[in-house]
Amino acid sequence: MSTSVPAYLDNAATTPLLDAVRAAMAPYLEEEFGNPSARYPLGIEATAALELARQRVARATGARSEDVVFTSGGTEANNLAVLGLARARRRHGRHLLIGPTEHPSVREAARALEGEGFELEDLRLDRDGELDLEHLAASLRADTVLVAQMLVSNEFGTVYPVARVGRLVRANAPRAVLHVDAIQGLGKLPLSIGELGAHSLSVSAHKVHGPKGSGALVLSEGVRPRPLLYGGAQEHGLRSGTENVAGIVGLGRAAELAAGDLSATTSHLEALRELLATEVRRTGVARVLAPGTMRSPAITSLLLSGPPAEVWMHHLEARGVMTSVGSACQAKKRDVSPSLRALGLGEEQSRHVLRVSFSKKTSEEEVRTAVRAFVEVERELGAPR
Amino acid sequence: MARYGELWLKGKNRGMFERRLAQNVKHAVEGISDVRIERDQAQLVLHPESRARDVARRVQDVFGLSSVFLARGTSADTEAIVAAAEMVLAEALEARPRDRVLTFRVQTRRSDKSFPLLSTELDRLVADRVMPPYEERLRVELSKPELTLGISVRPGRAYVFAERMPGAGGLPVGTVGRTVALLSGGIDSPVAAWMAMKRGCEVVFVTFHSYPYIGASYEQKVRALVCSLGRFQARSLLYSVPFAGIQTQIRDHCPPSYRTVLYRRMMHRIADRIADAEGAQGVVTGDSLGQVASQTLENLACIEDAARLPLLRPLLCFDKGETIELARKIGTFELSIQPEPDCCTVFQPRKPIIRGRIEVCRNAEGELDVAGLVSAAVEGAERIEA
Repeated sequence: MSTSVPAYLDNAATTPLLDAVRAAMAPYLEEEFGNPSARYPLGIEATAALELARQRVARATGARSEDVVFTSGGTEANNLAVLGLARARRRHGRHLLIGPTEHPSVREAARALEGEGFELEDLRLDRDGELDLEHLAASLRADTVLVAQMLVSNEFGTVYPVARVGRLVRANAPRAVLHVDAIQGLGKLPLSIGELGAHSLSVSAHKVHGPKGSGALVLSEGVRPRPLLYGGAQEHGLRSGTENVAGIVGLGRAAELAAGDLSATTSHLEALRELLATEVRRTGVARVLAPGTMRSPAITSLLLSGPPAEVWMHHLEARGVMTSVGSACQAKKRDVSPSLRALGLGEEQSRHVLRVSFSKKTSEEEVRTAVRAFVEVERELGAPR
Repeated sequence: MARYGELWLKGKNRGMFERRLAQNVKHAVEGISDVRIERDQAQLVLHPESRARDVARRVQDVFGLSSVFLARGTSADTEAIVAAAEMVLAEALEARPRDRVLTFRVQTRRSDKSFPLLSTELDRLVADRVMPPYEERLRVELSKPELTLGISVRPGRAYVFAERMPGAGGLPVGTVGRTVALLSGGIDSPVAAWMAMKRGCEVVFVTFHSYPYIGASYEQKVRALVCSLGRFQARSLLYSVPFAGIQTQIRDHCPPSYRTVLYRRMMHRIADRIADAEGAQGVVTGDSLGQVASQTLENLACIEDAARLPLLRPLLCFDKGETIELARKIGTFELSIQPEPDCCTVFQPRKPIIRGRIEVCRNAEGELDVAGLVSAAVEGAERIEA
């Protein structure tokens, strides 16, 4: 297998580090190694770096900097929100509502709460693949304490109407908080915790050209989860542990760049999506799955014929084209993703869905290379069976 | 102190067995501590510089040893032995419940017959000296006591111990010879390889991958299994053989129901060639009679027909449950159950043949350039030092 990657089209999984981000981080991996809890200049410099990063993340998400909690990444941010907010509010009730396509770091955390006496209910998609808001409104209760609804689906790119969810939650379950997993939304859509009506929002650095192992939970004023980690009371006691200074600096810079370049990025992503759709149509190698719902321009799902998408994926990767099937249909999981079911795909067909995802670093040439590889692979796999 | 198992039965070869065992032990503890190894009658005495318990646990995985004792060394005089015995007993009792009386004895072995006391005399003397502080916790019982304080008196040195750790049994790896073991990502084949090692075979691993029909992560899984099994032999080699080319040929030219049997015939031809290159004299497989369609008597015969070297099938008459139990014990089970398709799932026929016939296999292969395909696969194989 080649190590250079002619076409990296799996940006929903992770993205390459930007030079500007690496440069921002470098001093904190070298001479600025201080512990932010230390009271001498080396420590104070580290604290200053954290606070700058906090401001940058706050600005990128429309929050106040004192409401930003740094974590070890998206999974921890989602766990802190789901476990921490539910536990903090348990005296108000035990009812949880979880979006239909939540990431496992939300879904499994919520499931773990069932063992603590919480009652878990799933939201639904309607026949068009839209979030079923009628069902949501009917499901909200006086004892609902947490609703978790992601902003952009990592498997399909569906953009959910979270602001409407926020309004429904406020109207029908005044004691509930709304957690929004915005990990695939940062840098793809304008992001504002206030406009979404969310009480917490999670972001991850490595999905926006930052380092792995760094993320944040952004809170609205006055909303505080119970911590998951206890110790030295860093992050206002919400997340103990010596801060990952370089990683946090990287997150801050990456978030700033992601939010700053938003309109240029969006038009670039839209152009790439259009190019892919055109080329796929012209060559006839696949069908673009285009539901009527609003979608992130960064993610396109393709329905392939012949062998399962996983076989396509490995043949493509052998040609240096990186794509993914993992999220659309996890290899050993029998469940068809609700978004695919909403498009009328059954278990067999859902095994033929390949995810292609772009970032602002993706070039048109990569898309063309990928389509050429699709054509070659189709020819190779077309042998008699 | 690491006691031999059946090694001492081996008559004139004993020296060779002992040397190999000492080498294997030395290799096993590399990176844990520097260890000086002495050979003594029916045991190796290891002198670790530090981390003796870690050394002992590691040595438990070395084949050819029946038990390992964590012992305290001392000079071979009575007072020093008593002092050591007091410490060993105190440690042993710290780790045991206080709420009931334990049966106890002292048991001396002398290899230094010039030691002034007889074994039984030393037993009694030490017991009289160490027991008084623990009168309420210990009661002497000579047969099957719960706690034995062992003393081994050797020329110039004595060892006191209370903790016996079971050894892995078997024969030192490499003393019986070298074999190739076919390794899939499944539960059975790592256990089969382990059993061959247990009986003294050094194992060279061979795996077949169908990249790009399955992912490159398959190879990572197999490498993880090889690393895990690496605890049991000094150095492991893995051949990773590209197999998709052969599979597409078989798919395109042979009866679908025979695919799996024909895959396996090709695997054995390739394994034989690798065995030749590595000086191995047999091929180990994880076959279990009747477990899947390719493991009927007829199909095993079809597969064996293409193999030249002797086939070792240590799991042949094991139930799945028995194999799983062993896999858990040796630590491969968790790795094996990681979901990862292997090459056998590629182009799997809807209805595999149950009672294959050798002539049909041979005829089907008439459509293939068998020698060319085998050579290409052998040449394309990656040799990995794990």
